Parts: sequence; C-alpha cells; structure tokens
Amino acid sequence: MRPRANSGAEPLSIYISVPFCRSKCSYCNFASQVFPAARQSEYIAALEQELEWTRERESSLGESCATLYWGGGTPSLLPAALFTRVMTALERHFPRQPGAECTLEAAPGTLQSDTLDAWRRAGIHRVSLGMQSWQAAELRASGRLHGPEHIAADLRTLRAAGLEEINLDLIAGLPHQTETSWRDSVERTVAAGAPHISIYMLDVDEDSRLGRELLAGGGRYHAASVPADDQIAEFYEYGIERLARAGYRQYEISNFALPGHESRHNDGYWLRQPYLGLGVDAHSLLRSAAPGAEDGRDLRWSNLDSLEAYLAAIARGELPRAETIWLDAESQLEEACFLGLRRNEGLDLNRLEREFGEAALAPQKAELRAMAAEGWLEENGDLVRLTQRGRMMGNEVFARMLH
Amino acid sequence: MDPQHIRNFSIVAHIDHGKSTLADRLLEYTGALAAREMQEQVLDAMDLERERGITIKAHAVRLNYQALDGQNYVLNLIDTPGHVDFSYEVSRSLAACEGALLVVDAAQGVAAQTVANAYLAVNQNLEVVPVINKVDLPSAEVERVRQQIENVIGLDASRAILTSAKTGLGTQDVLEAIVRRMPPPAGRSDAPLQALLFDSWFDPYRGVILLARVVEGEITRGQKIQLMANGQTYAVENLAVRTPKPVEIERLGAGEVGLIVANIKRVADALIGDTITDAVHPAAAPLPGFQQVKPMVFAGLYPVESDQHAVLREALEKLRLNDASFFFEPENSAALGFGFRCGFLGLLHMEIVQERLEREFNLDLIVTAPGVRYRVILQDGSVLEVDNPAKLPSASERKQIEEPIITATIISPEEYLGGLLGLCEEKRGVQKGFEYVGPGRVMLSYALPLNEVVLDFYDRLKTVSRGYASLDYHLSGYQESDLVKLDILVAGEPVDALSFILHAGLAYERGRALALKMKELIPRQMFEVPIQAAIGGKVIARETVKAMRKNVLAKCYGGDITRKRKLLEKQKEGKRRMKKLGKVEIPQEAFLAVLNLSD
Repeated sequence: MRPRANSGAEPLSIYISVPFCRSKCSYCNFASQVFPAARQSEYIAALEQELEWTRERESSLGESCATLYWGGGTPSLLPAALFTRVMTALERHFPRQPGAECTLEAAPGTLQSDTLDAWRRAGIHRVSLGMQSWQAAELRASGRLHGPEHIAADLRTLRAAGLEEINLDLIAGLPHQTETSWRDSVERTVAAGAPHISIYMLDVDEDSRLGRELLAGGGRYHAASVPADDQIAEFYEYGIERLARAGYRQYEISNFALPGHESRHNDGYWLRQPYLGLGVDAHSLLRSAAPGAEDGRDLRWSNLDSLEAYLAAIARGELPRAETIWLDAESQLEEACFLGLRRNEGLDLNRLEREFGEAALAPQKAELRAMAAEGWLEENGDLVRLTQRGRMMGNEVFARMLH
Repeated sequence: MDPQHIRNFSIVAHIDHGKSTLADRLLEYTGALAAREMQEQVLDAMDLERERGITIKAHAVRLNYQALDGQNYVLNLIDTPGHVDFSYEVSRSLAACEGALLVVDAAQGVAAQTVANAYLAVNQNLEVVPVINKVDLPSAEVERVRQQIENVIGLDASRAILTSAKTGLGTQDVLEAIVRRMPPPAGRSDAPLQALLFDSWFDPYRGVILLARVVEGEITRGQKIQLMANGQTYAVENLAVRTPKPVEIERLGAGEVGLIVANIKRVADALIGDTITDAVHPAAAPLPGFQQVKPMVFAGLYPVESDQHAVLREALEKLRLNDASFFFEPENSAALGFGFRCGFLGLLHMEIVQERLEREFNLDLIVTAPGVRYRVILQDGSVLEVDNPAKLPSASERKQIEEPIITATIISPEEYLGGLLGLCEEKRGVQKGFEYVGPGRVMLSYALPLNEVVLDFYDRLKTVSRGYASLDYHLSGYQESDLVKLDILVAGEPVDALSFILHAGLAYERGRALALKMKELIPRQMFEVPIQAAIGGKVIARETVKAMRKNVLAKCYGGDITRKRKLLEKQKEGKRRMKKLGKVEIPQEAFLAVLNLSD
C-alpha cells in the first residue's frame, strides 16, 4: 500500500446529530423523530459518553477541530444548557482551531433569545435556516410548522444577534409547487440577502413517507400535487440561473454562495477530509496512514439510526455503531472521483495521481475522457468538471466511476 | 407375473380436487409409503413442478395390494403431465394404462380439467372410474355431482366411489374398484417383445433411464433390446420398479411397468412413444401412436452478457440431454451478438426451459419473441424454411410464404361459445366443425395459423371460458398466407431481434401497439429515443421515449457517503441487467413485448 499524507495533520470536521423534531416532515428521510423533551438530556449524556470513548479509542483522529456542524433533526430545539454542555465537552477533547467554521441548523420559528446567546457565546457563527419555501401552502402540505412570516422574522432576529452568516435551504419539488410559486420563492430568497443558499431536489425513495407514497402511486401527503420530474429539473435549472445572476456562485450540486462564504464543512465531505459524526445516525470517515489505521485503508462507520438503539448501546458500554466499512485504495479512488465531481471546481487529476498513483488512476482517466467526449464533462488543465448537462445527470456520470 | 393380477391406471382430476392426496392414501394403504415426505419425492420431483403445481414429467409407482378376493395384485399408478404443450406425452402415459380414476370434488363439482382429462382418458379407451372426493365436507353434494358426471361427461356415475382422501374414507373401495372394474393387461409374455416407452430422462450416473410399459412379451436383465424408431440396439443393464424406492428386479413381463437402464447416452435416442422390442426376435411392427415430437415454437436465446455465451451453450447441451423435444442451434444477431435459435413444444415449455437455464445455470437471458417455422418459396422455386424473422428473404426475393396450420379441437360448455368463436375469428381461424357432445357441451374444430396460437391463444381461451374450455391440437399442414415482416427500429436502427412475422391484415394495429408497449418498457435514457415500427422500410408507427431530464442526488445527510454509493451501485446493477444496443439500454422484457400487447 502506498504511503499517503499524514491525515493527522488534515483538519478534522465534527458533526453533531440532534434527532429531535417538533413534527416529522413528509419528505424527510433522516432518522429524526418527535420525542418528549425529557429524552433530550438522556441523549446528550449518551452523546458525551460517545465522544469520550471515541476520543480514547480512535487514536488517529486529529487533535483539533477545523469545522463543526450541528445537524438534525432540529438542533435549534436543544435547550441552551444541554447545547453548552456538549460544546464544553467538545472543547475539552477537540479544541477548535482559530477561525474554525461552526454551523448550526435551525428550523424557522424555533429561535429563542437564550439559545441564541448560548450559540454565540460558544462560537457558532453560521446558522442554516431550514425554510424550504416561501409559500404557506407548500410548507403546510409538507408538514412544516412554520410559515413565511417566521422566516422573515428569524432573519431579522439572527441579524440582530450578529449572526450574519446565514444559509437558506430551498426544496424544488414540494407538493403544490408551481413554476410561479417556485420563482417567487427563489426571488424572495435572493432578496433576503443571505450569503449562502442550498437548493435540493425532492428525493423520491423508500426512506420518507412522501417518497414511499409516490413510489406506490398513492395520494396521501399531497403526493398527487408533487410536480413532475421534468418540472423539478426545470425549477432546479432556473434556480441555478437566477442565483448566478444575483452573484451567487454554485460550488457544488446543491450549494451556492457569495464569494468567500462557501461552507468548508460541506466541502470537506466532497474532498474526503476526515470527519467524526456523533449521535444517532451520524457518519464518520477516518483517513489511513494515520497512527492506528490498518494497512492504508480508510475507515467509514455509521451510528445506529434509532434513538432507542443508540441509547441502549451506550448503556451497555458499547460504541453505538451500525456499519463499519474499510475502504481499500480502489474504493477510495472511486469515492474521490464521484464525490469530487460534485464540486464545480472539478476533480484535480494531478492531486489524485499524487495520492493514488498513475497506474491506479488510468482506468478512471479513460472513463473521464470518454464522458468528456460525450459532453458530460469538460476538461480545464488538470481539472475535470461536470458540464451543466452532466450536472443534471450526475448519477449517470458518478456510476461510471465505480468498477 | 400373471397379467391377470396387474392393473395399470392413472388418476385424472381438476386442480385441487384431491388427486395427489388420493394418491398418498393409496400409497399409504398399500404400505408403499408411511410418510408424506417420501410421497413428495415421487410426484413432481423438479422444483419447478412443485412451484408451478404442474407435472412436467411422467412418473410411475408400483403398489402391492391384497384384494378382498384374497389375491395379491400389482397396481401401477402412472402420473401424467398436465399441460397442452405436453399433450403428446400425456397421450403416451395414458396409452400405458387400462384404466383411470376420475376424481371430482364433491363440493366443487365437475370443473374444466375434469372434462378435458376425462375426454383424454375416454379417447384412449380407458375404463374410467368416477371418484367423488371430499364427501365429508359439509358443502358436499354427492347426488348433484353424480348427475353432473353423467350429464356433462356422459359417464355412468351410479357406481361412483365416495371418498375422503383427507380422512382415508373409501380408500379400500377405490383399490377394489381398480381390481374389479379395470381390465387386466391383455398381453402375453411369450409373444415378441413390444414395450411402450412413455418417459425417459437423463441420470448423470447411469445415463438415460427409460420408463416403459411392457405390452407384449417380456424384458429380462442382459437382454439385447432395440428401439424401433431409430433401430439402435442396447443391452439391458438394469431393471427396476419404483415402490416408490427403486427396487431392482430380473424381468418385466407383459402388462408390467418399470425402469430400464441400457447404457443409452442421449435422451434423444429414447423418444417418448417409441417401441422397445427384442433385438434378436423383433416384433413385426411397433405399437401404434408414435410420433416424432417436433418443436412448434421458436425463439432466440441470448445471454445478457456476451461473455456468457459458452456457459449458455454448455447449459443448453445439458438440458437437451434431458429433453428430447427441445432443440437449439447457434445463431447470430446484429443486435444481440451470439446466441441460439431454440425450438419448443409451446410457450409453457419455453418458459420452463428459460427458467431452468436461469435457475440451474445462473444465467441472465434475453428471449426474443416466439414464432413458428415458415416455408418460403423463392422466385426460383426453391423452398427455404425460416424460423428466425431476421432471416426472412426480402419481398422481392420471395414468391410466397406458407405458414403452419393446426387443427384445434376445443371442448367447452355452451355458454362460452360466443367468446370462443370471437377468439378463433380474431386469430384468423376457419371453422371446420361444430357439434354438441352431450347436453350443453360443444366441440369446435378449427383450422388456425400456428403463429396466432403460440402467442397467447391458450391463455385467452382459458380467460374467455373461465377455464372450462379444453384445447387439443395437431399440426395439419402448411398454407399460403399474406405475411409480412414487422421491423422495430430503436433510435433509427432496426433491431433484428425484435422483428417478427405476422399477417399483413394485422400489421398496422400490432405495429402501433408494439411501438407503444416498447415505449412503456424502455426506461428514459440520457437522450431522446425514437421507436418505430416498419414494414419493408415503410414506417407505420412512431413513439418517443423522452430524454431523462435529471438524475442527480442532492442532499447528503451528515456525510452519509455509503448510502450514496449504494444508490449508484444499485443504478449500475440495474443497467447491467439491460442489453445495450448502440447507446440505448433495453430491458430484457422488451424483447418479449409482443406477448403482452393486450395488457
């Protein structure tokens, strides 16, 4: 196995999962649920335990934290005291580097002054607002509890609290969405002036209520009012075009930012930088060639995806892991290709060649060249990136990176 | 053994009327079997037979029974296949019997297969003994069923035996009826040997095993025998009867049924219906009724992955060892590469072969639209047989095309007549006969083009008659017909494996229906895919599979890369099972779309 850069020197990202919600959105395919508030302190205690045991066991983790991300679920629901407890524990085990990026996901209508204070004091400076749409009917049909008025109010509150680094989420493909309503949501999002915007397209799969209903051809959860696939594609394309006009640069399939406001945490996933996920259904990646890693393989693991199973594992004194996968060099290269291509900057072939060797990269290079000839990719020196056509068909391109 | 003490019989019934349970009881009562597990090895030995609930191969079990007259009898229970594709095999199995038990459910009454099977037995001159089963059910209506048997089938049911195969009630009555009412075999053991070969299969350790009924004369171990159809001689290595465990014996006398091992290498040398005789003192003539079974339906078989070609060939060779009615030869398709043209007895036979290949040899296959063998008379008067539409000479090269015609006999309750006549007309049938056979029952005779029958005729027949019509058919000759080749073009390129031959009068309607069906079956691709149906270069229908607008996963929950990767792998695996024609990926079922046009 080839030696690789010492990943201990690579920045470590940390993800904290908060699986609590006030209600379950119909499109949600994440392991979040509505639980009584009493479970929250139990959960946070378990999470602290997981953090401590992981720190002891995974000696190859870096010493400090470069980015931190609170996701969910709805982290903004977590009481200030519990939030602060976790931040204190994190600071003890993985002190944040100067200038570390610290984000927290918030649901509109859940902001409270004491939690806002706690976030700011603990160093949170980015807030991702899961607003999804500016249309009351679309939000209601998806099971969201907020309306457009909450979004506007929250934007004012965040800014007044000095939290200017805001991300706004938009979903293309919500029930009842029309071309007019979509354009209106995009327009109002641009007008809101947040430095970062994400556009997601509705995932239709077995993991969400709405997805299952759509696959089964049923009519519950407003499934009959979900726009056609082709129309969702048009919404997405319109979004890209409109945000570009407003000065937002698309840096990844779903992510747009004013220059200099890109999320480093997000980029880390696509660049395969190491990250540690803590909590229910959190995911982690440890890079090889660090002390403790086995013969050059990377390690991915996922945590148990139900709160009960997670708590029970911790109570038994075990790490709450669901699946552990060792990645050999071939799998790492495949991942590096299909993840790297998601970034608008493209795939740095030079870097890959340094990391994996010329011979290993040769088949991928040939496939990339073929796809460039077919118009899905474009080459620019050592960089290969998706064309707009290729971006719409990302999965077709990515699948060809697997062998 | 004295033939007076032998009875050869089969059991016929509608599905679920208790045929196999009654067989169990007979085996149990005579001590052949104690437990149900062993019975399951006797009947329907192949997985496929059990799953589909149909019998494909014939079987025979010997029962020893001491009758009330104090005499010991040998009763041979001969099980028969159960589908029109195998009607010839059924007729040979029945020809090995003198009698048949007709089992009718006391609550359900006479049903479609009761009638069809009873007629088969009657036509073979068997003594048919009605058995009314499940008489212990509260809903049993014995007298009504007795009347039905008399009115509908025309059998005397006054002495029908009442049984409950579930409780064992009446089992002895059945055995007594077999002994008393069915005639013993008539042959003499000192006559020249004539034995009816009614099934054969390949055993990897012992070669071909013959299942035969000695009609005249006897077979002994070591004897030199001859198979009269091919003239080959063999030495008998082993004789056995199944009780149901195989028990070796020294001789099989007139009237007896048993297994013969004679170092025969290929099932194709041991054809069902052939006569086994003595090589030194052969019989003057073979037994009547032998036919060389010929495949009626032809289709191309191709591996989805072209590197599986050698594996497919090997699998076909192995299958052919065990199935003489199945035929194959190499062929080449511009679209699908190297594959095989295969001949089958019918659609069910085709499905069975395909399923066995996929299951036993782990192959992914593409089957092209089934068709028949045409006779093409060329301009110079020469005759060409064509069973692959892609090889049909162009209209200018040929003078005429003749298609195989069958004579079909359909027996049905009168109430379904309208639907049946409509179906036969739709399938270009010409009525040859119409008569009442018993009260409320009609027998239709039709000349039908075989190519109309192979597609979905049997299924449609069962649908319009709610299962009550029975069908039997035989090839009656060839007839000139106005036939054309319909080509399907995918993305502008004709796909030879999708071509088929059909009557000109149906071409427009089916061309349109097929193009539409293909549009439904071919998934959206990264570009627009036009689908056209054409006759002789003239496009008669066009559909378009729109280009896929998007296929991209947006969200990444907390860095779950593994999930993303699995989705990509699933997508890739789905493509692997499709056939790539040029740039277009076509799923396997699209090649059989012509079978499902009415869906």
